[in-house]
Amino acid sequence: MLRLFRNKFFLLALLTILLLVLIGVSSRADSPVNTVGNSLSIPWAPFQKVASFLEDKIGGIFVYFEDMKELKRENDELRAKLDEMEKETRDLNRLREENRILRETLNLKDQFSDYISIGGNIIAKDVGNWFNIFTIDAGTKDGVAIDSPVITNKGLVGSIYQTGPLSSKVISIIDVDSAVSALVNNYIVIVRGDINLKDQGLLRMDRIPVELDLKVGDTVETSGVGGIFPKGILIGKVIEIREGDTDLNRYAVVEPAVDFQRLREVFVLVDKTKNTETGNGEK
Amino acid sequence: MKIKVLAYSICIFVITLLQSTIIDYIKIMNVKPNLLLAFIVVVAILRGNVEGTVIGFICGLCHDVISGKMIGVFALLGLYIGLLIGSVNKRLYRENVLIAVFFTFVSTFVYEYVFYFFNLFLRGKGDLIFPLKNVILPEAVYNSVLSILIFIIMIKLHYTFEEASRTSRKY
Repeated sequence: MLRLFRNKFFLLALLTILLLVLIGVSSRADSPVNTVGNSLSIPWAPFQKVASFLEDKIGGIFVYFEDMKELKRENDELRAKLDEMEKETRDLNRLREENRILRETLNLKDQFSDYISIGGNIIAKDVGNWFNIFTIDAGTKDGVAIDSPVITNKGLVGSIYQTGPLSSKVISIIDVDSAVSALVNNYIVIVRGDINLKDQGLLRMDRIPVELDLKVGDTVETSGVGGIFPKGILIGKVIEIREGDTDLNRYAVVEPAVDFQRLREVFVLVDKTKNTETGNGEK
Repeated sequence: MKIKVLAYSICIFVITLLQSTIIDYIKIMNVKPNLLLAFIVVVAILRGNVEGTVIGFICGLCHDVISGKMIGVFALLGLYIGLLIGSVNKRLYRENVLIAVFFTFVSTFVYEYVFYFFNLFLRGKGDLIFPLKNVILPEAVYNSVLSILIFIIMIKLHYTFEEASRTSRKY
């Protein structure tokens, strides 16, 4: 038996079979093997934090100089916009107050009141060129659970794919394996990542109902169907409609509200009702 | 032997760290190079098939742990690339940088295409030609250029290892 283990071919075959089994077992996102795997990446985490902090600072300097020319033009534009906005804010405040009173009378529950948000910094990006997964520095210790939605103040980023004790992997909505049920003009469509569009940071909208009159510029939000994402998180807006040869293979290109290239900090929404056993639910 | 293990560990750790952080900022045409793969190829060419296989396996495993969706895919690919390239190195003049460049180019094609084929194409997520032209070809060129850099560093380590094994043989 010992001689068998000295044989190189036998070792190679054994390792190959073991790895194939490992691939099979770990291909399910919630299998415990992945938690063990993610725990192995802990030694890198502190260095990754330092590296991404430095990148942020150094990258910021270049962006500062690049943007100088743009700034003056943008400043003029923004001033004009500000005047417009001030007027709108006054209207909005009035409407918000009205909305609050109406909600109270109807006893409507705030849609996000079931969620607590946990902040996380992006510490590592995906190594290869095929997927759009990134690592954040919040893990099961902080109460993050698989499938929790991940957002920024601008809109939807993705959901938690795998968790580890100190870090977790987030699958962004532009990843090829991601599909989100979305709402456009009160119709439910599917917004998914596409291998041909993800390099430009765009999304593909499928299953557009024939009766839906889709226009460029329509906003897309989550529909709440499917149980992962709560209703009403902004995804992005339609920028192009591509007609197929029949109505059935018509699809649209959606630009996400979040800029995935410059993403630094995200918020994980954790469902309080699902997560009582970790003890973080009461916060 | 101890020095060798330590040197390899530091190399793999640093390369994995760079790969998961800084590399994202030096994308060209939206494509990231793969330093780990270039490292596997250079080690396999300089050090032969045993070290090539072991380093290929460990680098692949680091790649799997640090990112990606499942564990073991890159470990398997890295293992066989290290083994195959390490096995042909005896017939070549290994201290020529062009050999490393050529093999990095070829193995990027194999590594990425096998991965794409099994992980995305078979699941109906794309066609066969698009990734070849838009991802794999630029990446192969990028990797080949970076492999020169890794080769320059590794050949110094290679001479140190050779020297160490020669002195230890005397006693």
